[in-house]
Amino acid sequence: MSLTNELAKLGADIDDALQRFMGNEKLYIRMLGKLPKAVADAEVISHFESGNYDAALTNAHTLKGVMGNLSITPLYKAYSDAVALLRESKPNEAKIKIDEILPLQKDIIDCIEKYN
Amino acid sequence: MKQTILIVDDMEINRAILAEGFGDDYNILEAENGHQAMEIINSTENISAVLLDLVMPEMDGLGVLHRMNKNGKISQIPVFIITAADSAQMMMDAYNMGAVDVISKPFMINFLKCRVGNIIELYRRRNDLESIVDEQVKRLNKYNQSLVEILATLVEFRDCESGEHVKRICGLTEILMTAVSDMFPEYHLPKHEIDKIVSSSVLHDIGKICIPDAILNKPGKLTKEEFEVMKQHTVMGCQILTNIPDVMDKAIYNYSYDICRHHHERWDGRGYPDGLKGDEISIWSQVVSVVDVYDALVSPRVYKDPFDHETSVKMICGGECGTFNPKVLEAFNSSIDKIKAYRIQAD
Repeated sequence: MSLTNELAKLGADIDDALQRFMGNEKLYIRMLGKLPKAVADAEVISHFESGNYDAALTNAHTLKGVMGNLSITPLYKAYSDAVALLRESKPNEAKIKIDEILPLQKDIIDCIEKYN
Repeated sequence: MKQTILIVDDMEINRAILAEGFGDDYNILEAENGHQAMEIINSTENISAVLLDLVMPEMDGLGVLHRMNKNGKISQIPVFIITAADSAQMMMDAYNMGAVDVISKPFMINFLKCRVGNIIELYRRRNDLESIVDEQVKRLNKYNQSLVEILATLVEFRDCESGEHVKRICGLTEILMTAVSDMFPEYHLPKHEIDKIVSSSVLHDIGKICIPDAILNKPGKLTKEEFEVMKQHTVMGCQILTNIPDVMDKAIYNYSYDICRHHHERWDGRGYPDGLKGDEISIWSQVVSVVDVYDALVSPRVYKDPFDHETSVKMICGGECGTFNPKVLEAFNSSIDKIKAYRIQAD
């Protein structure tokens, strides 16, 4: 079992990612190695709890871009939805979207860290 | 030599993806917020493109565009917005502030490289063309000015002068016009306009080509009738200029025409050909009047020996050569040392 195989099982679109990275799997894996720190740096949920929705929006927007570039499709979709809801001033619905994918995000981060 | 790209994104992972994608073909600079980006943009020459995230801490992408508009860099460096596009308004704002392209995350690195590379190449060709055109315009202006000077010098040789008078008029006009402009705000002119006036002053006597030798080179005092013919050189000069408008640019043509016609007008209305009075006479024609009289006084002529500098200044300021604008005379007096030094150097 390889990292990309495991991530594919967790919903990552590996074909799409490799196309994005010019077929360079090594480069893709190196960039995946940076994802745990990126997620930690742009933590979203605590900002909902403190009511700082601007910070929640900024970080959700950041992670949307990162997940998109790495083709982690379910997380990309969840952060996209959360950003749209925050822009529509619907923080509660946005928080639900994030809460829903946090377990999957944890699995993905754990998986990457296992190979780091 | 590799060209340089600046990548601006607060997320290291995004910078790393772009740096990996572009690193083989370009030198890469990185900034993690707008402030750092502006420091690099302002201190680094020859950045070929900026890849700019919109949402960042400290200063965001729109802030960077705003500052690049203020310092003019936006017209020199193509800026690509790379964003997880979720606000149409922000993207529109970025375009309106001069971004050349907005690229949505997630992106395909190959396509991105093509889009960025194409625009960099377009900018490079544009910059090359601009410098070629600048160089050609400079050369053309130089040729035109040479042509104008040749014309003026030919006229002067007929006047039994060496051709130095027209060159001295240029130097003296520059000194006095600058002094008038600096001392009197109502006559202030920017340096580039003064340069045009200086170039134009060379043609002030071109109409003398139409004056018969017997009058132009008469050693003694002219009769009343002869003087009437001599006065025609102002009007004839303008007629010559109207036949060669394309030799010089429009502004120099206009200054030349005005100076040619009015450099013998006087402040009290007793000059010629139109009898203009006071500020009806343009300030540049007033300036050329004074320096033309000064140079005529200090130079030998067929009809007189040269006066020394001090006597010439006294004659001008004492009204012996007609009445001049008191402000121009004040500027003339304040520039006496420069004028004398220029005159000595020209001799």
